[in-house]
Parts: sequence; C-alpha cells; structure tokens
Amino acid sequence: MTMAQRSAPSVQTIDVTKVYRVGHVDYPALRGINIKVERGEFVSIMGPSGSGKSTLLNLIGALDRPTSGRVIIDGVDLKKLDEDRLSLLRNRKLGFVYQSFNLIQRLTSAENVEMPLISRGIPERVRRSKSIKMLSAVGLTGKANKRPAELSGGEQQRVAIARALVTEPALIIADEPTGNLDSKTTREVVDQFVQVNKGYGTTILIVTHNAEIASMTQRVISLKDGLVDKEEYIQRIDSYSMR
Amino acid sequence: MQIVDMFKLAYKALIDRKVRSVLTILGITVGSAIILSLIASSAGLNAGISANIEKTGANVLTLRNSGGFFASGSTNTYELSQQDVTYLKSIPGVIAAYPYYSYGANIMSGGQSIQASVVAIDMLALPALYNGLTVAEGSIPLLGDTTSAAIGWGIANPVSGTPIGLHEMVAMSITGIKGSKGAVSYAVLASGILAQYGTALFANIDDTIFISLAAGGVLSKSPYFTGIYVIVDNTDDVVTVQNTITTYYSNNVRVISPGQILSSIQGITGQLTVFLGSIGAVSLFVATVGIVNTMYVSVMERTREIGILKAIGYRPKQIMGMFLAEAALTGVIGAFCGLALGYALSFLMGGMLGGLGGGRVAFGGGGGGGMTIVPVFSTGLIVFSLVFPVILATIAGLYPAWRASRMNAVVALKYE
Repeated sequence: MTMAQRSAPSVQTIDVTKVYRVGHVDYPALRGINIKVERGEFVSIMGPSGSGKSTLLNLIGALDRPTSGRVIIDGVDLKKLDEDRLSLLRNRKLGFVYQSFNLIQRLTSAENVEMPLISRGIPERVRRSKSIKMLSAVGLTGKANKRPAELSGGEQQRVAIARALVTEPALIIADEPTGNLDSKTTREVVDQFVQVNKGYGTTILIVTHNAEIASMTQRVISLKDGLVDKEEYIQRIDSYSMR
Repeated sequence: MQIVDMFKLAYKALIDRKVRSVLTILGITVGSAIILSLIASSAGLNAGISANIEKTGANVLTLRNSGGFFASGSTNTYELSQQDVTYLKSIPGVIAAYPYYSYGANIMSGGQSIQASVVAIDMLALPALYNGLTVAEGSIPLLGDTTSAAIGWGIANPVSGTPIGLHEMVAMSITGIKGSKGAVSYAVLASGILAQYGTALFANIDDTIFISLAAGGVLSKSPYFTGIYVIVDNTDDVVTVQNTITTYYSNNVRVISPGQILSSIQGITGQLTVFLGSIGAVSLFVATVGIVNTMYVSVMERTREIGILKAIGYRPKQIMGMFLAEAALTGVIGAFCGLALGYALSFLMGGMLGGLGGGRVAFGGGGGGGMTIVPVFSTGLIVFSLVFPVILATIAGLYPAWRASRMNAVVALKYE
C-alpha cells in the first residue's frame, strides 16, 4: 500500500449511476451518487425502498459495476480491476454482513468463519485458531462446532460478523444486518459493530431502515430516487449509553 | 486455495446430499464395473485358450472331411482312409499321422448317465498329442486290443455316480456312428486310468475314453476315419504343411490348426466383448450424463451459496475448482466401488465365457466340459479403471462448474 492510498478515503464514489434494463425499458436505480467515507468512519445509509441503497452497496462492495462513474475503494479505482482482482479486493479489504446472515448451512460456525481464509490458502491449524479467537471476540465462545440451524438469529448474525472480521478488512459493508432480529438482539449486534469500529478502527457502512440504529452511527446518508437526499452528522455525546 | 481444502469442502457437500450422491456414484460404479469385468474376463479367456493350445502343441494339425462337424452346406462326400494317412506321412516335415474315430457316449454308472467322448486312436499318439499326459493306474491297451480302454480321470472319478476302478467293466451307449441309427451298446475293460489332465485341443481329456484304432474300426464297420492328426516336426513348418495339404485336397478336407481354432474362438469372444463392452460404455455414458444432471441441479440449488463465496472473495477459478472437485470425487468413489464390484463380476462372467470356450470343437460330439476362466487383472487395467471414471466425471462436471463460476454475485445473493 502506497502513501497515497493510505491517505485516501475508504470509500469514494464519483458521479455513479446504475441503470437496470428490463426488456426494452431502462430503470435508473442510481442517478449520480457522490459520497465519501473516511477511514474509521461509521456511516449509515437510509432511504425508502427503491431509493438505491442496496444497489449502491453492491457497487461499493465490488459485486457489481456502475453504468457510469467511478467507485474508489482505499484509493483503488474498481474500473481498472478484472474479475479476479475484484475477488481479491473483496477478500482482502471488504467484509460483508447481510440481513439473512448468508451462512453456509452444512458448515459449522468455525468453518463458516474460515471460508475467506480457505480462499487465501491459509493452513487449517492457523485458520482454526483465528476463527476460534474471532468467535470468542463476538461472544460465541464454545459455539465453534455448532451449525447455523443450531444457533439463534442473533448468534448466526454474530457468526457472520466474525466471518467478515476474520480477514481484518478495511471496510465492513452491512446490508440491514438487524432486519431479521428482535430489538434486544438488534442492540447486541449494533453494539458489536460499535465495538469493532472503535476497537479495530474498521470503517463500517451500514444500510438500515431503523432510525435508532442510524442514530448510533456517526453520519447518516439519506438516499431518495437514486440521489443523495441529505447527509447529516449525528451530534453524539455517547447517545447510545444515555438511552 | 489448497487442493486438500477443495476436496474437503467437496466431500462435505456430497455428504450433505447423501442419497443423490450415492445414486450418482452408483451409476459410475456399475458402468465401470461392467467394463472392468469384461476386459478382465476376456483377457482371462484368451490366456486360458492360449494355455490350452500350448498344452496340445502348436505342431498338431487336424484333418476332417468337410461334411462333418463343420459342414457348411457342402455336398462333399470325400472320406479319409488309410491311403490318406500314407500320403500325409510322405509330406516333408511331417513326422507322424494318426487317424482316429470319435463318438459321443453315455456311460451308465450306478444308475446315472455320464456324458463322455470316445476316441479310437493309436495309443502311441497320445504322448505326441497331449504333452505330459500320463497313466495313473494300469496300462494303455495294446495295439489291436478291442476290449480294453484307457479312461480319463473324470470318468474314473465322476462327480456323481459310482467311481470306476481298474479292470472294471465300462458299459457305454455310443452315439454318432456313421451309418447306424440310434445308439450302439459297447463295453470295454478299463485297463488303464489316465492322470488328471484337463482340456486340450478343446476336448476335456478327463472325460474321454480312449480305445484302440482297431476297436474303432469294429464299431464303425468302416475303413473311413473321423479325422487324422498330423504331427509336424517343426512348428515353423506348420503353415507350409497346412498349405500343401489344403492344395492337395482342395475343398474336400478341412485342415484345422490350433492357431485357427484360437483365432476363430477369439473372433467369437471378441464380438461378445464388443457387444457387452458397448453396453458397459453406454451405461458409463448414461452415468456421466447423470453427473452432469446432478451437478447442474446442485449448482442451481446452491446459487445463494455461490453468491456468498463470491462476496467473501472466491475467484471464479476457485469456484469452478470446488465444483470440479465434487465431480471428480464422485468419480473417485465410483471408480473404487466399480473396481470392487467389477472384480466380483468378472468371476461371474468368467464362468459364462468359460462355457463358450470349452465346447468339444475338435472331437465333435459329446457333452460340454467347460474350461475354467480366471480373470486377468493387469496393472494397466486397474489403473485405467481407476483413472477413466475420474476423468469422465470431471469432464461431466465442467459445464455445471463453469456455470457456477460465471454466476452474477448480486443475482446469486438474492436467490431464494
């Protein structure tokens, strides 16, 4: 990593558009998004259904390419990367957490957490100790050999968080991570994100419908009809513990 | 990504869908077992036939008139007589010519009927015709003795029925005598019992009763022989001698050489092998299509999982490798099971082919006496039967694996 990259923002989008074509009709999902997320920031993205939140997240997550405009992650312009390099970037720099957890059902918690490490060719003993450590860090000590079906929703989501963290990513992308959880578990999971953000300095980008969750982040970016509607910094004197 | 991890994950995926995996593997197992057992047992058959020929000696030619056992619509009536024996002996390179009569016979023994062959021949011919054939008990009948016989080991010690001892009476009902309708009763004294020998010239010596040529003349009431064995001094001259004889008699006489019998039997077994082999090939092909189908369904079902893999940074090649490993593993398990099943199956098939190879081609009549086929498993065959299914399975996995690797991550992640 060069010095230029080191000082670059974690995420930057420049005039990003995305148009979906269904039959002969074009549906513009994003119509020119310009956002910048600094390193170590905890940012939430809000907006009504169809405002383009998930589309934007997919572009930033290097899972999809914009119709026009540029997406820059850690100083790297994604346009210049081929399929293989995009995969590498996802593996090295990004961690994903989804509403539906997206764990592999037949694998144990530890194995799920190790999946990104297997792709890197890390030997079994090394990755096992990492996954056990990471599971403990998210409060799942002793659940390493449980399969997702044997865990509660909150526990499953924490396995997913452990999987996202195990590679020590620069950026975590979370798409409505608490959408399937009750309010108590939601608080635990969000608390986990706050800890990761503070503890590791990981940049976190979280899409949510939940204003309460958004209020726990440092900045809220609101989307509407494929455009940035407003951006606001949260005035927080540790509002979370004040509640 | 390490290969070991690829196969470990593939194994877990196969275990996750046990029934389907087992059925897919079963297809490969059956296909490769059929092919393996066919090749092994036909190799065993060839080895058996070759051993048979070696026992007899490649320097023996058999002459028969063409109206006999091998009749092919010919109206030829040429008969072999002493005159022919004299002529054959005069051919350069020929050291002996032994005329013989042969018949089928039923022996009554303790109320049971045993099928046997009866061959009337100069007893001095036996050592020349059958390498290493010895007399176990007693002695062979003297020339011109029409009441004695040397009986085969199997006649003296039948599987069922009463054993026949030395100097006991053997009562036979002889069939296949030219010019006489029905069976002729004949009795001889067992003056000698031959040692256990097995099959030679495609006749089971153990089930044969040898009587003197003179006795054959009495039985047949005819100076015309069933055939003549010609013994050539040097194996290299066999073809020359055969050509000389064929030219002399034109089509009146059939000259059979061991090599000819070998090639005609191999022709038949070859066709059989091709036929059964194509069944095996078809079943292996069907099994391969089965893998394509299973893998394809599996890829579709696991669309979301593929999306997850893409999101956490698996490269297209790695995803392709993971699915190929699954297909290859199916092939590996199928190949090993196929090897075990094929091994068992080949002994079953050896029995079938053995019946085919053991007919009494040379002597004509008489009952069947099969030769035992021991399947031959060469190293090459074993390696082939382990590697080929794996290659096929991997090829079968190519398209589904490619589809998996090319999936759109965003679409795959939304898949329910």
